[in-house]
Amino acid sequence: MASYLESEPPSPGESSGDESQGVEATRICEKMKLNQRLAAKELVNTEAKYVHNLQLCASDIRSHLHELPQGDLDVIFSNIDDIIKVNSRFLKDLEKAGSEEEQISLLGNLFLEFQEEMENTYKVYCACYNQALALVETYRKVPKLQKVIHDVITALVPQACASGLSFLLVMPVQRVTRYPLLLQKILENTPPDDEAYEALQRATRAMQEVNSNINEYKRQKEIATKYNKLEHLTVRERLARINTHSISKKTLRLSQLFKQEAGIVTRTFLRIKPYECDLEMEGGAVQQYCCFTRDLHLLVFLEFKQRLERLVYHPLHHLSKALLGPQNLIKKRLDKLLDFERTEEKLAEMGSMTYEEEAIRHTYQALNSLLVSELPQFNQVAIQWLGQILNTLMALQRDLAQQVLQRAERELGQLPHSHVSDFDFRKLIEDTLDKTSAQLQSFCQNFQKVLPVPVRQPLQPAAERQVQALMSKYSPSKLYQVTSNISGSGNLALTLQKGQIVAVLQDRDIKGNTSRWLVDTGGYRGYVPAGKLEPYQVVPHDKPSMQSGSGDGFKFLPVETPRSSTHVAMPVFQVVAAYPFVARSNYEVSLQAGQSVTVLERQDKKGNPEWSLVEVNGQRGYVPSNFLVCVPSPTPWGWSLPTGDSSLSHM
Amino acid sequence: MSWIPFKIGQPKKQIVPKTVERDFEREYGKLQQLEDQTKKLQKDLKKSTDADLAMSKSAVKISSDLLSNPLCEQDQEFLNLVTALDTAMKRMDAFNQEKVNQIQKTVIEPLKKFGSVFPSLNMAVKRREQALQDYKRLQSKVEKYEEKEKTGPVLAKLHQVREELRPVKDDFEAKNRQLLEEMPRFYNSRLDYFQPSFESLIRAQVVYYTEMHKIFRDLTQQLDQPGHTDEQREQENETKLSELRALSIVADD
Repeated sequence: MASYLESEPPSPGESSGDESQGVEATRICEKMKLNQRLAAKELVNTEAKYVHNLQLCASDIRSHLHELPQGDLDVIFSNIDDIIKVNSRFLKDLEKAGSEEEQISLLGNLFLEFQEEMENTYKVYCACYNQALALVETYRKVPKLQKVIHDVITALVPQACASGLSFLLVMPVQRVTRYPLLLQKILENTPPDDEAYEALQRATRAMQEVNSNINEYKRQKEIATKYNKLEHLTVRERLARINTHSISKKTLRLSQLFKQEAGIVTRTFLRIKPYECDLEMEGGAVQQYCCFTRDLHLLVFLEFKQRLERLVYHPLHHLSKALLGPQNLIKKRLDKLLDFERTEEKLAEMGSMTYEEEAIRHTYQALNSLLVSELPQFNQVAIQWLGQILNTLMALQRDLAQQVLQRAERELGQLPHSHVSDFDFRKLIEDTLDKTSAQLQSFCQNFQKVLPVPVRQPLQPAAERQVQALMSKYSPSKLYQVTSNISGSGNLALTLQKGQIVAVLQDRDIKGNTSRWLVDTGGYRGYVPAGKLEPYQVVPHDKPSMQSGSGDGFKFLPVETPRSSTHVAMPVFQVVAAYPFVARSNYEVSLQAGQSVTVLERQDKKGNPEWSLVEVNGQRGYVPSNFLVCVPSPTPWGWSLPTGDSSLSHM
Repeated sequence: MSWIPFKIGQPKKQIVPKTVERDFEREYGKLQQLEDQTKKLQKDLKKSTDADLAMSKSAVKISSDLLSNPLCEQDQEFLNLVTALDTAMKRMDAFNQEKVNQIQKTVIEPLKKFGSVFPSLNMAVKRREQALQDYKRLQSKVEKYEEKEKTGPVLAKLHQVREELRPVKDDFEAKNRQLLEEMPRFYNSRLDYFQPSFESLIRAQVVYYTEMHKIFRDLTQQLDQPGHTDEQREQENETKLSELRALSIVADD
């Protein structure tokens, strides 16, 4: 043990003082040595006790508290296990020292060795300590659980039962703050020229550093939690949508788009089930298509959607949520900066600050340093993650394509034209479609074609005369037939029977109403509703036709009837046979009712207009002119022009 | 049946034989069903192609947004990734458009044309129905006169009504016959008509997905580590998430 007094040769004038000083020095030296040893011993002993208590707390008490949920236990005891590990090792190393002298020199170095580890474990514990305390408080309020806790503690650690769990939980916090004090005490009692002095000094400083770091860490953590809770957003902050984080913008929008895309896939794609309406076509390409789409819907697309959700959408969602915290803190920092600058100004002016202002400064600085240290790391991880997600997206698309392709090609292989190249196939399809659409056209026309209107009723003789009379006065185009009985009412309204022929004089009445027409019945004139009139085609015959039941007789009427000049060739009409006619000689040709004929001559060789030379079905012959009817074309009640298709139906 | 005072209870005398009616009903029923299915298929296909287009557009939007983000300027690797993705999406969009066009041309158009025949068919059926009504009406009139006493005026009237009846009856029978002939033909024509459409549908998908597969396979080989299973990817995501959460600036949720 070296004496701390300088071993200078005593100056001649102080020899007596020297001796007393020497004795004094030695005595002080002895005392210091004792103190040092005591302090060291205290440290070691307390350490042992501390570790023992910790273990008690951790293993025994905790295991007995199985009534509490595991999550809460984790919060309360946080990383006490790590602390126990570190400190047990520390203790073991401490006790390794043989003599007390060795111990002291060991002490300093040991602390330096363990400094970092201790800092890391204790800072976590201390940061969580407040939370743990809060939790214990809540349990205190629940009498049943409180009793359980109390009983357990009383059984295991009788001296602590008064204060409960909090007494035990505070131990690590107390311990770590005591280290600097204990070391300080040893240091005070160690002469500077002791070989262990330097180590001890450094150790003391190190432990003080540890403590301040722990404090800093704790503060940062608290700030982070305090400001991360969104409830603390003020109105101003909500309005200030300063978005300084570019990743955030990107991911938020991305996740929205993915939601939409996935939504579209679900909503529309899966709801459309084209394979259900198979047009009742069995076999052929439809079969393949049905299998194909059914597969797609039930398997492939669902799988794709699930994978998309799991591997792309959810991570994006998490990422965008994770971005909120830093964004908040950044905003907060800006605010705090303003406060900080204000205090700076005040400091410049006044040179001192109140306690609150100091706190403001510290808050800002803590926040700032936290962000500065962690933001770069955050950004990097976020970008990497985003890149990963995009890669996943591409892989998913590839897999989807592969699966669909597999199935589609399988079905395609079963189709007839699978070997045809794409270009040829398209040509082929176009041709086929052209053909089939022409076919459809013909179908359409078939259905549209209306069979000839039921043949005009042959007129009564009186009516015939009436018609003739009308025709002599008016042009045939003005002749109309009444389609249903008209009972007139009001001024000048006529009462007419169905089938009567009238001539239209005007297609409106005096007031301009076009639904009432002025007609001439040959005898009377008056107004009738226009809806009940139908244009009447004058049958090109001039004698009343047969009245007998059968319609296929004909009458030879050799008497020529004076032709009225109004009996002129009709404007563009088609001639149709009104009644069936059986040919009885070579000169005649048979007719079927409704058959279309071509009139070659409207009179026979002798000029008899009662017979017409017609061509029908490729045959020529004479038929009674009475049997022929002109119908205008094209109107709803005529033939449609015969198409090239042979589906013209015959009666 | 003249001794029954109440006419309502009388069964209608069947003018048109039951078998004919039944046949007609059956054929027409089939065609009505066909019409419904055609319409539904057309609507569904239209919705499907619209959804196709919308999805493709949103994919392009995603990649364009990514590209326009300032992050690309900061990180070269990221920029490469996003540019490649963007190119891929745009190409896919072009192919998709082509696919939709092809489907439009070879499936939806023919469907529409097929459906356009139905209105004419329905009109023709209506006309037949009208003719049937006229026929029935006149027939009952004839029967009414036949039951009366054969007096002179009655006979004349009877004769006249019979005259009226004849063409109407012929008309109805003509219509009936025509429809009975044409309807099955039309119905059966659908088989040949639609085969090419469905074939084309599958082929269009094949073409599209071949391209898609090629593009994305190249992309992933170039940029991603292919061969990662889903579990591995999930694991990676978890790792990143926990890395982020370990930082104190990230809120715990």
